[in-house]
Amino acid sequence: MAQGVLEGHPSSDGALILSINGSLDTTSTGQAWRRALQLITEHQPKGLIVDASRLTYCDGAGAALLLELRRRQESRRQPYEIQSLDPAYRALLDLYGRWDAQRPEPLAPADSPVEQIGRATVAVWRDVVVLIAFVGQLSSALASAARRPGLVRWKDALLTAELAGVNALPIIMLLGFLLGLIMAFQSAIPMRQFGADIYVANLIGLSMLRELGPLLTAIILAGRSGSAFAAELGTMKVSEEIDALTTMGLEPVRFLVVPRVIAAVAMTPLLSVFAGLLGLIGGAVVMLSLGFPLVTYIIQVKSAVTVGDLIGGLSKSFVFGIVVAAIGCLRGLQTKSGAGAVGESTTRAVVSGLVLITVVDGIFAVVFYCLGI
Amino acid sequence: MVRREFNHQVPIITVRHFTAGYDGHVLLRDLSFDIYPGEVFVILGGSGCGKSTLLKHMIGLYQPLKGSIHIEGKDIVTAQGQQRLGILARIGVMYQQGALFGSMTLLENVRLPLEEYTDLPGEAIDRIALMKLQLVGLGPAAYKLPDEISGGMRKRAAIARAMALDPPILFLDEPSAGLDPITSAELDQLIIGLATHLNITFVVVTHELPSIETIADRVIMLDKRTQGIIAGGRPQELRDHSENPWVRQFFNRQVEAVG
Repeated sequence: MAQGVLEGHPSSDGALILSINGSLDTTSTGQAWRRALQLITEHQPKGLIVDASRLTYCDGAGAALLLELRRRQESRRQPYEIQSLDPAYRALLDLYGRWDAQRPEPLAPADSPVEQIGRATVAVWRDVVVLIAFVGQLSSALASAARRPGLVRWKDALLTAELAGVNALPIIMLLGFLLGLIMAFQSAIPMRQFGADIYVANLIGLSMLRELGPLLTAIILAGRSGSAFAAELGTMKVSEEIDALTTMGLEPVRFLVVPRVIAAVAMTPLLSVFAGLLGLIGGAVVMLSLGFPLVTYIIQVKSAVTVGDLIGGLSKSFVFGIVVAAIGCLRGLQTKSGAGAVGESTTRAVVSGLVLITVVDGIFAVVFYCLGI
Repeated sequence: MVRREFNHQVPIITVRHFTAGYDGHVLLRDLSFDIYPGEVFVILGGSGCGKSTLLKHMIGLYQPLKGSIHIEGKDIVTAQGQQRLGILARIGVMYQQGALFGSMTLLENVRLPLEEYTDLPGEAIDRIALMKLQLVGLGPAAYKLPDEISGGMRKRAAIARAMALDPPILFLDEPSAGLDPITSAELDQLIIGLATHLNITFVVVTHELPSIETIADRVIMLDKRTQGIIAGGRPQELRDHSENPWVRQFFNRQVEAVG
């Protein structure tokens, strides 16, 4: 970086003379800019004279400095003069200075907190309306698929089932096993104090098959497949593939959403069963380590868990599958344009999926309680 | 247009024995040419002949199979680390779709290279970035996001960003593609204006004939079959006097098979 490219001294009539010695380019102008403003602040001159006789090079950054000095002087109604400026650089100043009066349109003032809350509320309400409309659209498409199964793109559904289901099996099994193991360990210690450690089997059996197995599966599905559906459909939206489908007369919900929902609905209960079974195995490992024979554990689980519990868990998984796949696809179809839009849709798919899973789980809890299941 | 004269003594870009390809397939073979300071140099040719590939090698995105590309005397093919960054600071690139960062306003897009490469104070960066946008006629749109402006404005904003550091060389990939004739003509005038007033060297990839005839000082024409340069010179000379039937066909928009 040039050293001391700009220096100043006062003239006899109270003006400040800024002498440029060297190049004013993007690398040297930063220092010159700061020095010029410092000198102006120190001297508070009546006028400003820039001596450019030893200016060796000037690019856009240098021109910006000379124009900024002119603007400041003009705003203070004080004289400004550039002396001995090379005609080439004078032309550069004229070129950039031509648009000096062209100012950007000001940004709209930021909303007040009340306006922000209002906008957010309206946005949530609109989202609920869109969600309800989408549920109707999807139900109609699924009913149509049930009437005419030939219209369903089974190849896409099978591929999605493999990606969302088969490929998710290892992580579901691992997490299910660890969940069962950890729960058994955590509960065995306090329950042993009351001589009730045999009932750890009841706890693991009921919670894994009826509640945690389906919930764990749904959460993994939301993070893994719901986001993937949103990203895939979002990219299609950005690249106008969805528009192409629509103009070809192919309904995007039937063409893209139905196969994904069918795949998710088929796979989620199966994955949930695996999660439950591996959770039971995890619990068994702990019970064996506590000295209980395997047969005791199995009998205890069988006595605690009914077919109703298993069916309850499976029915939850079924609904979770629909919810996660549908919300993932909806967020994908809602993708706006721009590079960040797909990422935003993916995030919204996961967050909305998790919220809806919790809401649906709560509804199931109330319904099961009322039905005495 | 006013025909400008150039110093044809010292080239600003020198390409020698350049061969490029991928997956064992050669796309361009043994290209050599020079580009001189201040000229608008157009690389043209039919679809798939390797125009954009050549451009991407010239800006250092890809490594050629053979040959050298010297920019202001430094080989971008072999340059590493700081030397490579030094070369990249001397060039600006406008990509086909503009490649503006969607989450930033136009002003922030132009500010970015200035923030990363210089020690200019914030107000100076703002001033310079606004000046560049004003130069391409986008001063009033400085606070808009790329999504909120038209395709032609996006391309102009991309030129403003490419010019942020005042590079002496600008590479433009298909600047007129997808634009209406009026917007395309405006962009052509902007290129001519910048070349004339700021003495910027432009390397432009295009196959838009009206643009070529308006902006080009010199062209080279690439050919898919020969994998090389089949013609070079001023566009009017090539159109009227080229002995190569493919060149005449290209310039006269003839569709019948030749040769």
